[in-house]
Amino acid sequence: MASANKVLMIDYEKCTGCRLCELVCAVKHDGISNPVRSRIRVIKWEAEGVYVPMSCQQCQDAPCMTGCPAGAISRNESMERVEVDYDLCIGCRTCVSVCPFGAMNFNPIDRKVIKCDLCDGDPQCVRFCDVKAVDFVDADRVGQIKSRSAARRVRTADTRATAIHSDS
Amino acid sequence: MTEETNLQSTAESLRSTRTYGKFRCHNPSCMGRLQPQAGDKQVKCPECGMEFRVHWIRPDFPRIRGPVWDVNRKLAEEALAKKGGA
Amino acid sequence: MPLNRKIAIIDLTTGDIDVKPIPLAVRKQYLGGRGLDAYLLYNHTEKGCDPLGPDNALIISGGLLTATCASATARTHIMAKSPLTGLLGSANMGGFFAPEMAWAGFHHLVIKGKADKPVYLFIHNGSIEIRDAAHLWGKTTTDTQWAIRAELGDEEIKSCVIGPAGENLVRYANVMTGIKNSAGRTGMGCVMGSKNLKAVAVRGTMDINIARPAEALEYNKQFIDQITSAKVNQTQGTLGTPFIWGATNSWGGLRTRNFQYNQCEYADDIEPERLDDIATETIGPHHMTGCFGCQVHCRAQYKIPSGQYAGKYDEGPEYTSQGAFGAMPDCRSAVTVLTGNHLVDQYGVDNLEIGSIIAWAMELFELGILTTEQTDGLELRFGNDEALLEMVHRICTRKGWLGDTLADGGIPAAEKIGNNAFDYLIQVKGMNNLHSDERATPALALNVATASRGSDHLRSRPAIDLYHLPEPVLRKIYSSPIPYEGPLSSEHTDYEGKPWQVFWQENCYMAVDCLGICKYHTVFLGATLPNFEDWPKVIYYNTGLELTPEQIWEIAERSNMVERLFNLREGLSRDDLKKGDMLNHRYFDEPCLRGAPGVVGRTIDREKFSKMIDEFYAHKGLDKNGVPKPATLKRLGLKNEPSHLL
Repeated sequence: MASANKVLMIDYEKCTGCRLCELVCAVKHDGISNPVRSRIRVIKWEAEGVYVPMSCQQCQDAPCMTGCPAGAISRNESMERVEVDYDLCIGCRTCVSVCPFGAMNFNPIDRKVIKCDLCDGDPQCVRFCDVKAVDFVDADRVGQIKSRSAARRVRTADTRATAIHSDS
Repeated sequence: MTEETNLQSTAESLRSTRTYGKFRCHNPSCMGRLQPQAGDKQVKCPECGMEFRVHWIRPDFPRIRGPVWDVNRKLAEEALAKKGGA
Repeated sequence: MPLNRKIAIIDLTTGDIDVKPIPLAVRKQYLGGRGLDAYLLYNHTEKGCDPLGPDNALIISGGLLTATCASATARTHIMAKSPLTGLLGSANMGGFFAPEMAWAGFHHLVIKGKADKPVYLFIHNGSIEIRDAAHLWGKTTTDTQWAIRAELGDEEIKSCVIGPAGENLVRYANVMTGIKNSAGRTGMGCVMGSKNLKAVAVRGTMDINIARPAEALEYNKQFIDQITSAKVNQTQGTLGTPFIWGATNSWGGLRTRNFQYNQCEYADDIEPERLDDIATETIGPHHMTGCFGCQVHCRAQYKIPSGQYAGKYDEGPEYTSQGAFGAMPDCRSAVTVLTGNHLVDQYGVDNLEIGSIIAWAMELFELGILTTEQTDGLELRFGNDEALLEMVHRICTRKGWLGDTLADGGIPAAEKIGNNAFDYLIQVKGMNNLHSDERATPALALNVATASRGSDHLRSRPAIDLYHLPEPVLRKIYSSPIPYEGPLSSEHTDYEGKPWQVFWQENCYMAVDCLGICKYHTVFLGATLPNFEDWPKVIYYNTGLELTPEQIWEIAERSNMVERLFNLREGLSRDDLKKGDMLNHRYFDEPCLRGAPGVVGRTIDREKFSKMIDEFYAHKGLDKNGVPKPATLKRLGLKNEPSHLL
């Protein structure tokens, strides 16, 4: 499967806050436009212009999984994701309350918990995000990408400092 | 409705006319195609003589930042004199 | 289904609220958004009603496609009789309000009457509540929104609000949502203020079923690719609308020092690239933001780098703020532009109108038509940044004789100032022109003269007329969906064929406004962007409605005709300088002094202009006086004026 070892990588600095990811997520899964049906949510601090997309991290040792009293949540290793078995789910929402990211959501219309399933390997949020605030990359590359981006910032700051130094 | 899905609309068919890496002279009566060399800061239109400052949105994507003001003023004053204006 | 979104008719005097479905027959005639608003305004107001009285109707809407799986369906449209022009009032904004209102169950609100004390509306999943707003009165636009969220305990509430300018009945106060999304033109915030309506807050979690979700999703991707691959949108997504200001200034199409010049020279500090640098320095490399579902992300974020308001966060500035606080008053400082932009956002006032009116006053002051006594000692000269910003405060709070006078709009102010002040006012139908100069572009001059809401660039401007496109390309665009075999010219200084382009754009922009999508997604700045031929698919996949490009064109024509009928009812007359399709004499008499060689020396030719109007009227099916011919009304199903289904 193409998705093996790939994870959602969110770079909130790039997010423009447009919420297209929420729209396409809901339409893809339910055929309906409604952000409460979305598995990904953009949390906003509009007064400061800060937008942070939040979605399931597909944790290795997922609190939703360990906390589920019905044993309805499991890890699908081949898909690298945490899944809900709706035949077993009793709808108690324990998973919603224990998720440290608020990434397990409760859809109040169908009255069931919902979470990211990575669209079976072709996440629509990633496909539609023009600025790639949400990306789908090999798990081992996330750290690499982050450190390269941090290194670039350090380098820019250093170049600027040098310029200021030589100006004076 | 479904039969039409493979036909291109006017907008879609015009997409192939886009030219990346070039821009057009900002003189709307000229609009000559200009292609600055990578990193060029200024460009002169060979068609009409207007000179522009260049800004690079991306290394492969130049745009006109604005006229070279001294040249722009000179050309405007010459054109105005020719037309018998102030 | 988007088609099951409702209309609510709310009477603030009595508190009565009437919720109705929107009949399919009406949808097929007007789609939604601006077209349906025009129909509602015509029906819900009486001829000659006082724009600031309880009989005026304030209409707030989303479009047919709002919150569906189509691209950038963020637009909110607001309509009422305008307190600035006495004619059609209409304004449109991006942001997140209209989609939230659609998820709350509504596409259109018709707000009538007048509350006896400040109120706001809270609309939540089909219910509508009129709430006390005493604690919100006096607050800025953003503080009002945050206070409503705190009061109702929900950070997802979206509100459209007025600021102090709307409360003070500044005739060009706007309605705002978010940090800077503004329904700016024609004083819709003043109408809200007159009704004691501080805000409309919405929150919705109701489903909108998509007719063919899989197709809608795939086609949306294709549509977005068409839009984001356009160079114009890539530029827009990096520099925002300031890039248009820069390009317009390059060739000499920028209104400068009221109307004295057509270019703002050596203005490097307010060029788009400079503003972009400030955004990068104060926010970071990723400082572009956007409206709901849009991948163009054309709005910059910034903090004011220095001065009295240093560190304040805001968004923009757009072209109009560079004009209002840059070229028009001839203040070429980035800090002034960014500060002016912040002030208008906080007060809730149309930056375009206030900038125009202050620049006009500056010209009057320099001519001696306005005296220091009238300005309370203020040296209101071009290039005086402090006087400019002081005037923004005075107008929005109606402080001093001049602040109060200018707050009433150009024509009433001109009458009060006297002498020949009116001659210097660059307006059409009582509303000031965009900070662009149309003396070298007859097509654009025709557009501002005939725009239904007064001098305006977003009603029918054939902006691509400036691109010198080859004639076959122009013909390909402008002869679909309705065949056109008349003349078309690539030369922007020509008069031939321009009336058709303006007519085509008028229908194109109306269609976009009915659908509720953004004009950067159609033939406005880019020739290769979607239009009539592309919309049937997006409409069908999302709503199930089957429409041909020709039918969409006809709906747009009909909607434009209703706007025309409204204006005629309220006194529009072809050559009336204050209420007609006529331009200020300076367009005809004063030549362009700057710009590209072909632009210098240009004026609009009176006779050719009049002939363009004749032709434009003929395309629209109007007689020489601009009144629809009976056959036209019959063809558009308007023989008995708009029917009263809603």
